[in-house]
Amino acid sequence: MQVPYNYLPFQFANPKPFLEDWKRLISSSEFTLGPFVEAFEQKFAAFVGARYCISTNTGTDALILALKAAGVRPGDEVITVCNTFYATVGAISAVGAKPVFVDCDDRYQIDVRQIPGAITSKTRAILPVHWGGCLPDIERVAEIANAAGIPIVEDACPATGASVNGRHAGSFGAVGAFSMHPLKPLNVMGDGGMVVTDDFSLAEWMRKYRNHGMVDRDHIDFWGVNMRLQPFQALVASRVLDTVNDLVRIRNRNARQLDAAFEQLADFVQVPKRPAGHVETYQLYMARFVRRDELLRFLIDRGIEAKVHYPLPLHLQKAAASLGHERGDFPESEKQADELVTIPAHQYVTPEQIDYVIRTVRAFYNC
Amino acid sequence: MSTFRVPYTGFALKNAAIKQELMQAFEAVLDSGRYILGSEVKAFESEFAEYCQAKFAIGVANGTCALHLVLRELGISAGDEVITVPNSFIATAASVALIGARPVLVDVGEDLNMAAGSIDAAITPRTRAIIPVHLTGRPARMDEIMAVARQNNLLVIEDAAQAVGAELHGKRVGAWADAACFSLHPLKNLHAFGDGGMVTTNNSDIAAKTAKLRNHGLVNREQCDSWGFNCRLDEVQAALLRVQLRQLDGWTKERRRLAFRYNELLKPYVQVPEEQPGEFCVYQTYVIQAERRDELRSYLVQHGVEALVHYPVPIHLQPAAKELGYTAKDFPITIKACSRILSLPLYPGLTESQQDEVVNWIAKFYQGN
Repeated sequence: MQVPYNYLPFQFANPKPFLEDWKRLISSSEFTLGPFVEAFEQKFAAFVGARYCISTNTGTDALILALKAAGVRPGDEVITVCNTFYATVGAISAVGAKPVFVDCDDRYQIDVRQIPGAITSKTRAILPVHWGGCLPDIERVAEIANAAGIPIVEDACPATGASVNGRHAGSFGAVGAFSMHPLKPLNVMGDGGMVVTDDFSLAEWMRKYRNHGMVDRDHIDFWGVNMRLQPFQALVASRVLDTVNDLVRIRNRNARQLDAAFEQLADFVQVPKRPAGHVETYQLYMARFVRRDELLRFLIDRGIEAKVHYPLPLHLQKAAASLGHERGDFPESEKQADELVTIPAHQYVTPEQIDYVIRTVRAFYNC
Repeated sequence: MSTFRVPYTGFALKNAAIKQELMQAFEAVLDSGRYILGSEVKAFESEFAEYCQAKFAIGVANGTCALHLVLRELGISAGDEVITVPNSFIATAASVALIGARPVLVDVGEDLNMAAGSIDAAITPRTRAIIPVHLTGRPARMDEIMAVARQNNLLVIEDAAQAVGAELHGKRVGAWADAACFSLHPLKNLHAFGDGGMVTTNNSDIAAKTAKLRNHGLVNREQCDSWGFNCRLDEVQAALLRVQLRQLDGWTKERRRLAFRYNELLKPYVQVPEEQPGEFCVYQTYVIQAERRDELRSYLVQHGVEALVHYPVPIHLQPAAKELGYTAKDFPITIKACSRILSLPLYPGLTESQQDEVVNWIAKFYQGN
């Protein structure tokens, strides 16, 4: 049996609606922002429960835009985690700020207890990452941030569809940033991203900055860039958004099945806690395994396309050399980098395939 | 749908002829399930490099990204100065300002491109690079600009956003300088159906750095050498661009034929953009210089001819440029041109009778008034 990681060939198996969208776009000649992009922005804002959504070319652009809007300037510090995708820190670096890492907890999310100790007079933003499509204890993060008077910028890139106590990811901070990379729960056929906020003036600034600082075609208020979402991708995103709640439901079904089985293998597998009130998207279904590298090979050899996100935490990457960290600085992240496996549990994985994964893991541990 | 008898742009017309091929290319990418930096981007990069007579080409998200990435890679940063022109699209100067460097503007010549003779006076100990712009598809005087740059040990970045295929002395834009930046915006001669951009260079180091920087600084999925950005050219746009690149020479030929025809017919009334010795212009925009421009423009619009101004407010007079401290007394050639330039409809698919209509209204305007 094969359990593929990449679901795109299944998701876009029927090209018809997208070909229709494509024709609609071509005949409209609306290739730069325009009505399709605006319609998607409104739809997404409503989905998240935010007042404003400004779409961008990528999730990385969304993070850069959000950090700038939150007032992060060269020399400032931004608190974030070291178990994230490169773009989180790439974005901090792009605005000239310094990433200040804290470790993660046993849910692979920012360890909230460590945030207060990382705050200095230079801290300009706290950037929690909803790693794998799961929120940290965001309400506690918000309390700490509010008490310190520091804005939260949420890296909600993998978290469309995730929520805590009914409140959607991205709506807790001053600005929330999302990605629509093909392997995100809300995805497009290429790159795409967006930010959400309730703040009108931040929204207006971000809208202008992402399109050259333009007030209109002939006048610009300030230097800006081009971070525009492709109109075709807006059409794709708009369609996929209608399916997000369903696909999150199926992923949760798969996750429950895996969780239940792995909990019986407690000597070998450690499943993260799933606090009440949290809806996860399982952009990555992750758990910690004994003899990880051997297991990974065992699964792959048997057609299960398992992966590791990621084997080397950010503070140990060459790009972070100037920060002066070394192994041992963030023990939880380092341990997880050695133990985590991502199991395919997306919406096209069937209960039978999940069974096969469980049997294979059991076979590996001889139990 | 445009309400103009002679609209400024002509997408639909142009695309009808190759629509089938575009649809097939689109569907192939869709079916592949590979939407990020796949074989189409790779193939387009090598075809585009060859087209530009450059060794390397790297696909990026848009023309502004191209400028931004190249400036970063060349190590230009806070406190540096970069010489460019005031009569470009805003992104040229904005890219310089946004990395913390200072855009130092110099006036253009009668060809409305950077005047090589005005560079010397703008050079200071902080000057690091020069960005000439091949405005409207006319090549800047790269031979002269490169000579000044080399003499002063300065880097040169071509802003070739409007000029794919343009040549000076038989050498294409994109092959002259340390690096060149192209836009594939929908209004460009070669365009994405959305945004897209390219960087070309003959320097393997710059090429490798650009490829890394546009994709998070990644060497591979698990190793990050330097913090980067996500400025990738879409796979689906690359597939469509490949189809169009095969048509580009034909389209350029048609643009030039129409431009020369305009030149002949309009010469009695306005200053026309004639090709100068050594130049091969691709006429991304066809820009005349006219007396009583605003009146003429209203007159044309009123009679169904969509004419635009690129750009009515020069960069140095934009609110964003206030910090640079320039005034309306600076750059007299640019200022004078701003009140005289007018972009007329010109694209493959524009008919001679539409062209005649434009010419007739212009003739009537000057004869009757």
